[in-house]
Amino acid sequence: MTDETILSVEDLVVDFETDHGIVHALRGVSFRLRRGEALGIVGESGSGKTVACRAILRLLAENASIKGGRIWFENQDVLALDAVGLSRLRGERIAMIFQNPSTHLDPLMTAGKQVGEALRVHRGVSKGEARRQAIKLLADMRIAESERRVDTFAHELSGGMRQRVMIAAALACSPSILIADEPTTSLDVTIQAQILDLLRGLRRERGLSMILVSHDLGVIAQMCDHVVVMKDGRVVETGSVEEVIGRPREEYTRRLIASQPFLMAPASAPASLGEPILALEGLSVHYGLGVGFLDRMRHHGGRTIRAVDNLDLAVGRGEALGIVGESGSGKSTIARAIVGLAPVCEGAILCEGQRVDAMAAEQRLRFRRAVQMVFQDPFTSLNPMFTVSETLAEPLRQHGMRPERDIGLRIDELLAMVDLQPDLKRRRPGQLSGGQRQRVGIARALALEPRVLIADEVTSALDVTIQAQILGLFARLRRSMDLTLILISHDLAVVRHLCERIVVMRHGRLVEAGRTERIFAAPEHDYTRELLAAIPRVKAMPA
Amino acid sequence: MGRFAFVLRRPFQLIPVIIGISLITFVLLQLTPGDPVRVMLGSRASPEAIQEMRTRYGLDRPVIVQYGYYVMNAVQGDLGQSLAFRSPVSKIIAQRVAPTVYVLVYGLALSTLLTLALAVPAARSQGGFVDQLVRLVCVTVVGIPSYWIGLMLIMFLGLQLKLFPVSGFGPDPLANLWHMFMPALTIALAITPILTRNLRATLVAQMNADYVTAGRSKGLPESYVFWRHVFPNSLLPTLNLAGVIVSFLIGGTVIVESVFNIPGLGQLMVRSVLTRDYFTVQGVTLVLALGVVLTTFVVDVLTVLLDPRVKL
Amino acid sequence: MTAAVETSTFQRRARRAPPTLVVGAFIVGTWIALALLAPWLTAYDPIAVDVTNTLKPMSGEHWLGTDSFGRDVFSRLLHGARLDLQMAFFGVVGPLIIGTAIGLLAAYYGGVVDALLMRVLDVTVSFPYFVLVIAIVAVLEPGLRSYYISLTLVNWVTYARLMRSQVLVLKNAEFVLAARTIGIRDRRIMLRHILPNAIAPSIVFVMTDAVLTIVLGSSLGFLGLGVQPPEPEWGVMIAEGQVYLKQAWWIAVFPGIAISTLALGFSLAADGMAKLLHAAQ
Repeated sequence: MTDETILSVEDLVVDFETDHGIVHALRGVSFRLRRGEALGIVGESGSGKTVACRAILRLLAENASIKGGRIWFENQDVLALDAVGLSRLRGERIAMIFQNPSTHLDPLMTAGKQVGEALRVHRGVSKGEARRQAIKLLADMRIAESERRVDTFAHELSGGMRQRVMIAAALACSPSILIADEPTTSLDVTIQAQILDLLRGLRRERGLSMILVSHDLGVIAQMCDHVVVMKDGRVVETGSVEEVIGRPREEYTRRLIASQPFLMAPASAPASLGEPILALEGLSVHYGLGVGFLDRMRHHGGRTIRAVDNLDLAVGRGEALGIVGESGSGKSTIARAIVGLAPVCEGAILCEGQRVDAMAAEQRLRFRRAVQMVFQDPFTSLNPMFTVSETLAEPLRQHGMRPERDIGLRIDELLAMVDLQPDLKRRRPGQLSGGQRQRVGIARALALEPRVLIADEVTSALDVTIQAQILGLFARLRRSMDLTLILISHDLAVVRHLCERIVVMRHGRLVEAGRTERIFAAPEHDYTRELLAAIPRVKAMPA
Repeated sequence: MGRFAFVLRRPFQLIPVIIGISLITFVLLQLTPGDPVRVMLGSRASPEAIQEMRTRYGLDRPVIVQYGYYVMNAVQGDLGQSLAFRSPVSKIIAQRVAPTVYVLVYGLALSTLLTLALAVPAARSQGGFVDQLVRLVCVTVVGIPSYWIGLMLIMFLGLQLKLFPVSGFGPDPLANLWHMFMPALTIALAITPILTRNLRATLVAQMNADYVTAGRSKGLPESYVFWRHVFPNSLLPTLNLAGVIVSFLIGGTVIVESVFNIPGLGQLMVRSVLTRDYFTVQGVTLVLALGVVLTTFVVDVLTVLLDPRVKL
Repeated sequence: MTAAVETSTFQRRARRAPPTLVVGAFIVGTWIALALLAPWLTAYDPIAVDVTNTLKPMSGEHWLGTDSFGRDVFSRLLHGARLDLQMAFFGVVGPLIIGTAIGLLAAYYGGVVDALLMRVLDVTVSFPYFVLVIAIVAVLEPGLRSYYISLTLVNWVTYARLMRSQVLVLKNAEFVLAARTIGIRDRRIMLRHILPNAIAPSIVFVMTDAVLTIVLGSSLGFLGLGVQPPEPEWGVMIAEGQVYLKQAWWIAVFPGIAISTLALGFSLAADGMAKLLHAAQ
């Protein structure tokens, strides 16, 4: 790595004109990229990190305007380029890959054509030559059978494979800079590790300079030489990765680092597994593929998905159990089966020794009070038409938890339990932030004074600092309300912080279960080892 | 793989729909207040004539048997006897299919041209002057009844300016391009606003799709991105509207044929309703519905051939 | 972007109705007012024949001229508004209520009922809408009542389909699942959680549907299958003027303009309503 600057952004100001008025997305952002370097930009949602890197290629939405600042690429003023100059810059000199590979590929064009089209446009190569090059590029992205895959469409490829195609398309004209905007965020951790590995290799082989944008400090720490920390459209701190993570100067950077789940203290060892409050015995949940009644007749027992297959699991009273797995592992289905949202095909669910899945309606209603669930997506888990107080009053009334005159009081208590101001109760979800909504979701579950609380990926849609707060809230509620907690997550690090015991799931089956310390120190199963190795870790931990 | 097998299998999946159509057209006749045969034959008909007709179409049997007769007869091409024309309904319909299909196809072609000419510039100037203008035109035109548009065309282009003939469907297809221009334009104006708004919305949605940003990031020129990525992706959703559009178009021909005096199925339908020629009403309804089914079948096949994502 | 700014501008936005909605509502409102005040706004009987006064052009006496029976076109136009507005209302209300209820129930409970609804949808969509309406009117007997019956029989399907597609998504939304886990009963889930969140597209469609209903109803009148002469329905008036396009163009032209403006009003209102609901979400 030389010290020569290949790209610099100086005092960039970007405004968005929205229906809600003008939003200042960037308020004077500066950073530089040296030749051969990997620069990480880290920040939470609304920090402006994506806007900053899209501005480099002038890919901002129609309603955005660059109000000030300069962008220099090899002594060229990027903001002064005309359409032809811009088209030469994009793809040929600077390329970009995006977060969600499935929507960033044209569904009607084969992978090979999308990889080769930049060559066709920029270099004017023939169709046959573009195809040959595309096959080679796909092979370079370590796509097996690239001869065959070149003619496939995006929907025929897996998520990881799509991201490889997108990288191949970006690198077709051998650009000198690759901008990667959250390239692994929508992928499973093991796939994420593979893609990061690929990017690292490409950087070495091709001498690429790289800008990696991520919300995940772990990914940045693993991949980059320098890092820019952004917040609210400003650069908070910049420096080498070792400096920034090892000796953060700014308060916000320290908070960001402290919120990294892997750096949070692991849960302490359990005293001993108490008597089981909840037990799954040989639980199987299968879904038929058809949706309609006729489809079901047609497929008649043939094609079914075994979401959960013959699972035995006991949850001790007062423990915090983590269920971990990638997408399709069946972890959420377990939760849904327990609360009665997914059909139990075989096996039994026992709560305090009573079979839940065979209960009569009236009894079931009582059971519902005992086991409550918090849902994943804070944007869809609250009825958009209900105010906060209507949302919280509903369970209280349904189960007659309080006499009518005390309901208002109880709502205030519930809000206080989840650290929300009482004046929020007249708002609707549209007027709340993601973290606030998730707190309302937790309060709704708590309204029924449950003994078991199931939290299904409750923090995966939230920023890390908010995630840390919510995890803290769970830890506190658990102690103060004597709750049994089942935490479901794709993120081993999150689970490690809160749970004393971990169950690893894959393809609907239990892979490994054990005490958290033991799983992390001495995983028994290869898959668990793979998962652990895939966690992006922050190298230099602060004291 | 099985993409072409689908073309063979699809007609069988349409059987329930066709059964449903036959049921509804059958029930239609059952809804007539009083005895349809008596109404059709008139009050002076002899009891023998009434009895003969009843026996012939099984009208003296239980309803379920009557339905059986109806289906059996329809499959053999017997849709009953038109009392007004004193000849078989199927024969009258056969004579009148050509003008209707001609006007339909002509109208569809005109409206396709109009739609492309309006929707593409509107989408490309999203939110701009052209877009607003096209939107205003669409909102206005969609509410103008097509029979009135037809009359106004007759009044201005036909009677005053004498640019186009007011009516007359001839045997010569080329001359009909001339003669049928005003009817076809009338139909086209009725559906163009709907098609335009739909295509424009789809184009705009696709222009904001992520793969367009990805295409731009590779340095592809705007016009290349539009015609190679945005446009193909927008055609499929619009194509899927075709069934609805054709059913709308057929509704349009009913009116237009009456206004321009074209001897097609639409005009036949209206006349038969006014003369209470129930078998003809029933027959035309059946044939037009089967026409829509046929169109949706063709569209399904096209979709399967054009869209690699369709699950078979 | 801070939450506080977002909230205050959101409220400002919600209070400001889109201009198309304002203009649309104004046009429709004007027609409603004209229809209600018709007897006081014009001195002429819309139906009484006056053979001494046929085919008179526009004048101070007869603002929009007279028709072949010597009836005042302006008076007929205003009284016709009553009929056409009535069609827009009754043609839409029945299908909206029936279709919404069936779509909601079928999609929520699924199973055989939903499969059956799907088949009915498939079959009904196969009929050219207008042809089916005419066919039903034909077997009943031409007239306004038959038109309402026919529309209700055919058009509920549209609302059922709109509702069904919404409910299929919403019944798996997390807030509905959450309601189920806290033990809320189906009836309340459907009425309080799903319906209010699912109804918006149907409400927007009501406006568009009103346009279709008026145009269709007047078409029936024009063809002689709807409102029967001498009632001053706009389509009937255009049919009566058809023969006199050369000598007395005003008989057919003004009712056409009337239909077009009323339809435009509903279309604009639909457009604005769609924007408003979109902004609220």
